[in-house]
Amino acid sequence: MQQVFSIPKSFKEGFKFTFCPGCDHGIAMRLVAEVIDELGIRENIISSTAIGCSVFIYDFLNIDCVEAPHGRALASATGVKRAQPDKVVFTYSGDGDFASIGLAESMNVALRGESITSFMLNNTTYGMTGGQLGPTTTMGQKTTTSPMGRNREYYGYPIKMAEHMALCDGTAFSARVALDSVPHINQAKAAIKRAFEVQLEGLGFGFVEILSSCPTNWHMTPEQAHERIKTEMTEIFPLGIFKDVKNNN
Amino acid sequence: MEKNFILAGFGGQGILLAGTILANAFMLDGKNVTWYPCYGAEMRGGTVNCEVVVSDTEVSSVHKQDTDFALVLNQQSFDRFVQRVKTGGAIIANSTLVAEKRLRDDISYFFAPMTKIANELGSSKITNVVSLGVLSSVCKILSKDALKNGIEKVLGTKKKELIPLNFKALEAGSEAIVNV
Amino acid sequence: MKDCEKVLIKGNYAIAQAAVNAGCQCYFGYPITPQTEIGEYLSGKMQELGRGYVCAESELAAINMVMGAVSTGVKAMTSSSSCAVALMQEALSYAASDELPVVLVNVMRTGPGLGYIYPAQGDYNQAVYGGGNGDYKVIVLAPSTVQECIDLTYRAFYLAQKYRNPTILLADGLLGQMMEPASFGKYPYPEIDTSAWALSGAKGRDARAIYSCARDEKAQIQHIKDLFKKFEVIKENETSFEEINTEDADIILTAFGSMARNIKAAIKVLRKNGIKAGYFRPITLSPFPSQRINELAKQGKDFIVVEMNMGQMYKDVKYAINGQSDIALVNRPCGEWLSVEEIVDSVKKVMEKNYATSL
Repeated sequence: MQQVFSIPKSFKEGFKFTFCPGCDHGIAMRLVAEVIDELGIRENIISSTAIGCSVFIYDFLNIDCVEAPHGRALASATGVKRAQPDKVVFTYSGDGDFASIGLAESMNVALRGESITSFMLNNTTYGMTGGQLGPTTTMGQKTTTSPMGRNREYYGYPIKMAEHMALCDGTAFSARVALDSVPHINQAKAAIKRAFEVQLEGLGFGFVEILSSCPTNWHMTPEQAHERIKTEMTEIFPLGIFKDVKNNN
Repeated sequence: MEKNFILAGFGGQGILLAGTILANAFMLDGKNVTWYPCYGAEMRGGTVNCEVVVSDTEVSSVHKQDTDFALVLNQQSFDRFVQRVKTGGAIIANSTLVAEKRLRDDISYFFAPMTKIANELGSSKITNVVSLGVLSSVCKILSKDALKNGIEKVLGTKKKELIPLNFKALEAGSEAIVNV
Repeated sequence: MKDCEKVLIKGNYAIAQAAVNAGCQCYFGYPITPQTEIGEYLSGKMQELGRGYVCAESELAAINMVMGAVSTGVKAMTSSSSCAVALMQEALSYAASDELPVVLVNVMRTGPGLGYIYPAQGDYNQAVYGGGNGDYKVIVLAPSTVQECIDLTYRAFYLAQKYRNPTILLADGLLGQMMEPASFGKYPYPEIDTSAWALSGAKGRDARAIYSCARDEKAQIQHIKDLFKKFEVIKENETSFEEINTEDADIILTAFGSMARNIKAAIKVLRKNGIKAGYFRPITLSPFPSQRINELAKQGKDFIVVEMNMGQMYKDVKYAINGQSDIALVNRPCGEWLSVEEIVDSVKKVMEKNYATSL
């Protein structure tokens, strides 16, 4: 009988996800693991891990990881890559780590065109601490620190990271994808793969912003959460490839 | 034996370089030496100074209150450092830019028109090396040959072509006091 | 240049070239006076040698880059000065817990806050006790001459890797800017094999994760205990100090870093004045040579601590003396180093007052 489904080799044997029910981290990590398998880079990869729910990647992925302090994953990854230019280096972080506390590191990695790959999950909230307002929280969105909803006066506006990254000359690839449906998940996987490929080809920084759900802190069912991504979030954070040096050249 | 030197002037007079040549001269003469620049609020603009301490044994202390020799290339530095010369010490001043005043009787004063001599040699930029020549004529532990070694070491191969002019400046400086 | 040849070199350049000789594979830094020459020198040198160099966007980024680099088993460092080293304290806490051999050079200026660029020794506490969270210890080495800037830079790289512990070279602005004849020699330590723990890609072995905490309470307790047990070994093996004329001394002057040069000169003057003065300089500030100070105090020798801060090392000396003899502080918070004359006068005053007050 032909085997049509298996657990990626880049996952640890016998791992069990510890994320909340309906959380999209599991899907995103699986896509990353599948791509690592497909590119055959598992034994040559090092990840600098971020703080937040994404930190648990070292529990699940069967790869070498070094934990960075909050916001410093891309600095750490820069250090790894400069010390070991032949290794494949990536970061996997949430929007808080990448786009708020780590914004300086993120922008500078893109501007330097570091040959590393970064994934940022955008779930419009700080998940691990229980659903506070973050850099991507949408206008009007209620969180525990925006009880009346995000407004301009107190909070300003959400950041559109994929577009910002695309504007940096050192960025080779920048895309925004979503995990709300099978077609979108397939697109996400293709983008994740391309973000690794630009590193392998030495073209520069590869970035993917992944719209993902946080049903627990959104107080929604998984279905409602995916519906929110499909309708509200993609309206504010449009999906697409904002830069691919291969196409631009 | 431990002696210390303060070299001072305004920015652009090559004070730090003169100090570096002096320190190299002592080092190549087999002595222990420490050089340190003025450091702090004075780093930008105005006067520049550096101190050189030379010793037969380990150079221990830094930031000495008093100095054995003060080599000053402008009036401001003269006014400031004449107070810090030890009893029995000497101040060596650039009389092109410093008024000849001898207010203390416990120290020696030496005046030489260093900038004028440098200009006669073709460049005021070389005032610093002229001043080292003057210093060598009044400081027994400092020989002209040692300074020549210092100049060669500092100018090295990159600025080799400047060595003859610097040697000339050194000679002219060393003869300046007798000629005054 | 021959290895043993003496060259007249600034402390900052000496540190930078020593790092190169020690095999530092990556340097990451952000400019700040009075240590900028280190980054300037290494920017060119590392590129010439094909090693890693990044003009980091901040000191936060710089030290985290070092953590990333050393996690792969190579030697790497950053350098900075006081107020910017404050930005690195979080990373040092992580690095100590991660057991990463980070090397940090701090060429001190004054504080608090921006502190302008006057020389000072106000980072004793920041270096020895750390500004990071939790229980952790770093190794702190304090050079007092340009030659020691070289020797202790070598030692910093060695100790960091040998014990997998962050190590700080605590110099000061005076030392950084000072030129003295010094010789580099060769890096005198054996290379440490890092392959048992360094990240290299999980090829033919289990994946490795370097992280700072255990999520099991018992394991976290054990982890912290193990870190401290390790530091006991470091204390046993690596504590170092310099001692002159302490045998017959009634009073021992102690200072660290370049300030110690002036107490070395001061004890000669004091002895000429009939005061039996001795000299004691901790070279490792952490681990601190408490045991030796305690032995000397037990013999009834009094201590005068001379430092360019408000009495930071003073507390450690006092703790080491443990009430067995008298102690006084001679200090200035920043600026011009206390001169030999000032120290001699202060020591006389302290002795006249019978240690009633510190100055």
